[in-house]
Amino acid sequence: MAFINYSKREIQLKIVYYGCALCGKTTNLVKLHSGINSTQKGELVSLATDADRTLFFDFLSLNTQTLPGFDTRFQLYTVPGQPVYNTTRQLVLKGVDGIVFVVDSHWDKMEENVESFANLQENLIENHLSMAQIPYVLQYNKRDIENPAPLHYLEYTFNNRATRALTFEASAYQGEGVLETLNGVARLLLAKYSKSAGGKTASAGDAGKTTT
Amino acid sequence: MTGIGMLTVEDQMAIEGHLKDFLVKSESQWGALVDRGGNLFAENGDIGQVDLMIMCALAAGSFAATKELAKRLGESEFTALYHEGSKMSILMTSLHFDCLLITVFTDKTNIGLVRFYAQQAASTLNTSLKEASESAANSEPLQLDSELPGGQAIIS
Repeated sequence: MAFINYSKREIQLKIVYYGCALCGKTTNLVKLHSGINSTQKGELVSLATDADRTLFFDFLSLNTQTLPGFDTRFQLYTVPGQPVYNTTRQLVLKGVDGIVFVVDSHWDKMEENVESFANLQENLIENHLSMAQIPYVLQYNKRDIENPAPLHYLEYTFNNRATRALTFEASAYQGEGVLETLNGVARLLLAKYSKSAGGKTASAGDAGKTTT
Repeated sequence: MTGIGMLTVEDQMAIEGHLKDFLVKSESQWGALVDRGGNLFAENGDIGQVDLMIMCALAAGSFAATKELAKRLGESEFTALYHEGSKMSILMTSLHFDCLLITVFTDKTNIGLVRFYAQQAASTLNTSLKEASESAANSEPLQLDSELPGGQAIIS
């Protein structure tokens, strides 16, 4: 849940990068950390194994001044993608405000992608939340590989709800589409604090589909 | 859902006052009120050049990670968690409204003293959190009379 501190004039928002193992969640944060320059950023913390697999979470804090009179602090987390760490994923989702679901474009990862998406929905329910309540965007990652799954297939598989989610093509390893994805979910989250946006969480139609 | 959503200036001052009082009595170095999601609500004391956001995220994560262990022992969760170092130690105490009191202290004091006053502080902080929660429930949602930057990036 977003936290508003009127004394410090600060809004804290938690964004979780979710997806199957090795889909590029940590790479997103690494590229954001190295690529962002004008936004005040904290240290990137990774609780990983010796083989650089996420054990608990990665964490990156970004501070912006988008809304007048308020600092906005985005706290970015990743979850461990390996199926065995489901309890950890539930813990990291606690208090989540927005989600980036990272889809691996490899054909042979589709089953894992689908399982992870279903697992996300289950874990939100465990936290008394649902996909309808939490703003989320889809990032179709690894678009630079040979023979990636076509976009229409990914859209049909992951974005066939009544309210379409914003989608972003990315190659996180190359740093492409990473910042656009974060801006997409940040805009969804901040829209509810802006009267001009109707005080509601923006939907895909508000910002349009973005591709890189 | 975690935490209480918002703190008014008055809530913040009251909580920081309680934290300050607790730190003096327990001779601790730094204290903070955070929620289970890792949000920092209020802090007092001096912890040097440590990134407070990271500190809170790791502390909340560390506390959360013990929940399954507690369940195995028939507890819903542990009420406190203590990590002891050679010079610096940390005590995390569970509060109501999915919050935690985090206390960092040096070898100049001791865990018994810190834990004793932490229990007292938990009681007063729970009262403050209840008041803050009630004022949050009766407040209008934050609506700023401004537009989000059009095509401009929010984060760049």
